[in-house]
Amino acid sequence: MTERILTELVESFWKLFMVGLKVTIPLTLAAFSTGLLIAFLVALVQIAKVPVMRRLVRVYIWIIRCTPMIVQLFVVYFGLPTIGIKFSSFVSAWLVMSLSIGAYCSETVRAAIESVPVGQLEACYCDGLTFWQAMIHVIVPQALRTAFPPLSNSIIGLVKDTSLAYSVALVEILATAQRIAARTYDYFWLYLEAGLIYLIFCSVLTVLQRKAEAALERRR
Amino acid sequence: MLRLQNVYKKFGDNVVLNNVSLDVNQGDVVAILGPSGSGKTTLLRCAGYLTKADSGTLILDDRQYDMKKISSRDLREYRQKVGFVFQNFNLYGNKTALGNVTLGLRVSQKMPKAQAEEIGKSLLERVGLADRMDYYPSKLSGGQQQRVAIARALATNPEVVFFDEPTSALDPELTGEVLNVIKQLADEGWTMLVVTHEMEFAKKVATRVVFMEDGEIVEENNAKEFFENPQKERTKEFIFKSTTWASTAKKDDSGDNSTKQETIES
Ligand SMILES: Nc1ncnc2c1ncn2[C@@H]1O[C@H](COP(=O)(O)OP(=O)(O)OP(=O)(O)O)[C@@H](O)[C@H]1O
Ligand SMILES: [Mg+2]
Repeated sequence: MTERILTELVESFWKLFMVGLKVTIPLTLAAFSTGLLIAFLVALVQIAKVPVMRRLVRVYIWIIRCTPMIVQLFVVYFGLPTIGIKFSSFVSAWLVMSLSIGAYCSETVRAAIESVPVGQLEACYCDGLTFWQAMIHVIVPQALRTAFPPLSNSIIGLVKDTSLAYSVALVEILATAQRIAARTYDYFWLYLEAGLIYLIFCSVLTVLQRKAEAALERRR
Repeated sequence: MLRLQNVYKKFGDNVVLNNVSLDVNQGDVVAILGPSGSGKTTLLRCAGYLTKADSGTLILDDRQYDMKKISSRDLREYRQKVGFVFQNFNLYGNKTALGNVTLGLRVSQKMPKAQAEEIGKSLLERVGLADRMDYYPSKLSGGQQQRVAIARALATNPEVVFFDEPTSALDPELTGEVLNVIKQLADEGWTMLVVTHEMEFAKKVATRVVFMEDGEIVEENNAKEFFENPQKERTKEFIFKSTTWASTAKKDDSGDNSTKQETIES
């Protein structure tokens, strides 16, 4: 490794890191929180056996799970404009990734909700709570605790999956590395560095996950 | 005060409650006895609207409710007037003892936090758990959990409290502390309907005893008469068999009434 490459890598490190902070992390957080909301609604629709809706959400899960995310991205970003619906790169990625998290995590969330003893729901009823109040105050908080480890895996997976948004022209970590390398031809080092950035972000999340789990454990 | 009329319930082809009717007066402690599968839990669950009966009427304080169909408004009103204590406690795992007692007040009745906690604290004190208010259920013993559950059932100051075998899930050495609390409530004049297998408790605390079998009430009497002077053969047999294992083991099963009653009285 020459001194030139070293200086270049130090410079590009901050560029990549900042892009991570400004694009990858916001996209991850936006898509994950929306996705989680979808996951809970989908799970609850199934548990409460809401007519019609429970069938629709099965179709939704089926489609999302059985088609590749990159195809979904292409459909939204390149396909929809032909029928007059145009989203920016970021919004397209956010939409597709939210739907993906929603579908994948709904099963996790549903299993977690169903792991809370049904007697607690009955106790809520006896306390005068409605189904939804019981969910909000008693069942879902406990389900979240159970679902926490698998959900953490999902968010870490999502950080990495945001790199797919490269294919719909989002200037995220990978695209930035690619642009810099295109000028200097140091593909090897820059792609390694892009990997390092993902490694850093995901490691931070892993540490946060462990801390949060310990904190949750103390509160029961 | 509370009147169940012609409660009928089938699970599939299995008739579990066959037109059961039961009157509970103010201050009554009604013990419901009966062999396993006789429909005691189902009766209580129907009365608490946890299971919908196929037909039946429920009257509480001159208000009449259909046990098959009820509007959510009526249900809310009814649920404030009754408390329910489960066999396996069913405490909220994400709430402290105090949080368990106050949740209904705060969420369902929209009571301010301070006021709800004041009620919660005094109830927990009454069941002997003043020093356990901030404990989560997983940190409490079974007996303590059930006492929290009793405090929770009392939070809305209900007219009637239903208990489904409140001590069956407890280790023998913990049943006493729970039964003592229920006895104390009886002494304070609470109206209660208690499904139990604890014959001693029924004898000492209940004012009335109802004996169920195969979805019907076989015999019903005030507690003293019920145990001292059972009318039906089936009831006699049940009382005889349920009083200590030792007494059944020692004596032959000729059913000699005089010896049997001595066993019961002792
Ligand atoms: N959800 C259900 N589905 C089908 N059958 C049920 C259901 N719940 C109860 N049963 C049946 O109804 C009958 C009465 O049950 P129940 O639980 O009311 O009896 P119990 O008197 O409380 O008995 P135990 O003393 O064992 O608690 C039993 O035959 C039982 O198998
Ligand atoms: Mg039972």
